[in-house]
Amino acid sequence: MPLDGVRFEVPRSASVGLEGVTKRYGDATAVDTMTLEIGAGEFLVLLGPSGCGKTTALRLVAGLEEPTTGLIRIDGEVVNDIDAKDRDVAMVFQSYALYPHLTVRRNIEFPLRARHVAAEDRSRLIAEVSTSLQIADLLDRRPAEISGGQRQRVALARAIVRQPRVFLMDEPLSNLDAQLRVEMRAELVELHERLGTTILYVTHDQVEAMTMGDRIAIMERGVLQQVGIPQEVHDRPANAFVAGFIGSPPMNILRGALATTGGAGDMQVVVAGGGIPLPDPLAAVTRRRGLTSLIVGVRPEHVVIDPGGTLSASVMMVEALGHENHVACRLEGGKLIMVRLATGEPIPRPGERVMLSFPGGRLQLFDPVTEVRLDV
Amino acid sequence: MSDPGAAPVPTAEARPGLRPIGPGRFGRWGRSLREATLGYLFILPALAVFGVFVFYPLVKTVILGFYRTPPFPNLPSQFVGLSQYRSVISSTAFLESLWRTVLFVLFTVPIGLALGLGLAVLANQRLGGIQIFRTIFSSTVATSVAVASVIFYTLLNPEVGLFSYWLGRQGGAGILSNPTLALPAVSVVTIWQNLGFTFILMSAALQGVPDELLEAARIDGSGQWHRFWRVTLPLLSPTVFFAMVVGTIGAFQAFGQIDLLTQGGPSNHTDVLIYYLYQQAFIFNDTGVAAVLSVVLFVILLILTFIQFRFFERRVFYGR
Repeated sequence: MPLDGVRFEVPRSASVGLEGVTKRYGDATAVDTMTLEIGAGEFLVLLGPSGCGKTTALRLVAGLEEPTTGLIRIDGEVVNDIDAKDRDVAMVFQSYALYPHLTVRRNIEFPLRARHVAAEDRSRLIAEVSTSLQIADLLDRRPAEISGGQRQRVALARAIVRQPRVFLMDEPLSNLDAQLRVEMRAELVELHERLGTTILYVTHDQVEAMTMGDRIAIMERGVLQQVGIPQEVHDRPANAFVAGFIGSPPMNILRGALATTGGAGDMQVVVAGGGIPLPDPLAAVTRRRGLTSLIVGVRPEHVVIDPGGTLSASVMMVEALGHENHVACRLEGGKLIMVRLATGEPIPRPGERVMLSFPGGRLQLFDPVTEVRLDV
Repeated sequence: MSDPGAAPVPTAEARPGLRPIGPGRFGRWGRSLREATLGYLFILPALAVFGVFVFYPLVKTVILGFYRTPPFPNLPSQFVGLSQYRSVISSTAFLESLWRTVLFVLFTVPIGLALGLGLAVLANQRLGGIQIFRTIFSSTVATSVAVASVIFYTLLNPEVGLFSYWLGRQGGAGILSNPTLALPAVSVVTIWQNLGFTFILMSAALQGVPDELLEAARIDGSGQWHRFWRVTLPLLSPTVFFAMVVGTIGAFQAFGQIDLLTQGGPSNHTDVLIYYLYQQAFIFNDTGVAAVLSVVLFVILLILTFIQFRFFERRVFYGR
């Protein structure tokens, strides 16, 4: 593997903690009383849509922003008053932020020179890191003379060469083309395993989050929504936002009134174009809480096109991915619902009217007001 | 670009009455000749203006330098060839004047650049009311040499001038009439006068330095000075270089402040090349010598600019 050369004498990693951290810009709150503990050596992905405050959170840890209130700890020590240059963290920027006037060698050397590392150690470290990241033949070029993927490696090399306690990565793969992104995902995971350094990784790409993170922290509008291992976040989303954000394609979220004809087992959520029957254990939850309406989440793989279905929709578009097909259906109210077809299932034509059914009632229920998931 | 599946495009030759575009009767040569003619036609107006106002006067000046101006008007000027060039260049008056000019350039250009850059860095902060400072720092760009000279003439006045008071030279001989202080005093006026322009140039260049690079450097463990020297300054180098070249040429041609403040005095201590030239041309009416001085000044600036490009441009980083 390409990273064989990197072996630090002492594996370094530190925990990172945010305690009730808030960052306001005037009236706007970018990060709202965020509390999060990242273990030493952990790979934590901070996930959320653009503008959710995840990059601000990262910059707060880096020391590029000062929190309005709250404490930031690295290795248990409060670092609020410690300047970014003394926090011993390395950052990889989305734009890579390579120094355009310096060669690749001088770029990688920059943090070492800034820290007055002796010349012989510098050249040894640069040789090691550049060989392991396969950029040894680029050392005398300028950033403008290498490709995007190579720049990304140089940015990584500049971060690694310092052997920091924590890596902060701000959407480091978003400027790469799709194929390279998949490759680099694997390399970053491997790099983390090899170095054992704590990584705080910001992305809006839930596939990156699911595939790379030990744990995922999901943010929206400055508020931390859920922290958990990928499977847990996928299977037991804390609220409707997380449910609608995780998964590819994500969970369908529908809102409707609860109705029943009185008999047992006929409770359903009424939405435009029909209803979604609630199986007994789920119906019991709504009864217990005395709900009259509900938010229902259903994963695309748990919806089936079935002439005997309970919800009518029209096919809008079919995404044929080869190994599987996604069908986007429009409900009468205009709401979209995604259906994932199993291999071999007949593919409907756009414009066709279909009925949808929900076999086994594999639904997630959310409170209509707080949008928090209702436990069964 | 062509689509291999498309129907064949009918050629122009196949249709009578149409002439093919592209390599025509004269082949490729004909085409490039036509393009060249068109190109020259486009630059002709600019060439004409330059010809009348720059090239012709330049050639005329060089020729003028070959003739000795007669001691009395209306006598024919005498052709002396290069001998007038030789005598002017080797004269003590010229050499002294050249030395003073060099001193003047050394006083004004580096300090002016450093001050302009320093102020730009100071004003390049996100602070409330910083706009006021930016306006003040750039204000001298809107003042003329005459205004600057009058202001400093008053400040340096031996009777009422604030500077004279501060320097403890009230009442006595003025600073402008002191042989040692006159040239530095004129230099201060020049630096002040040019500061606004340098400040604006440097401020604009500073805005072009991406915040992310400075942030990356900060996280890399680089302190404020290190960041300035290793990141900011290299990225500003094209602007610093431009300001240096333009500033040097400007300093060689500084005239207004000297004419208004010292008239080359006291005893020629501020008699820089351009002022010496002016005196030859318009006080002593010696057009021959003045023409020689003009040509020499032109050649000096040409060589100096060439040297600057040769030696300093290497340290300049253009683009990304």
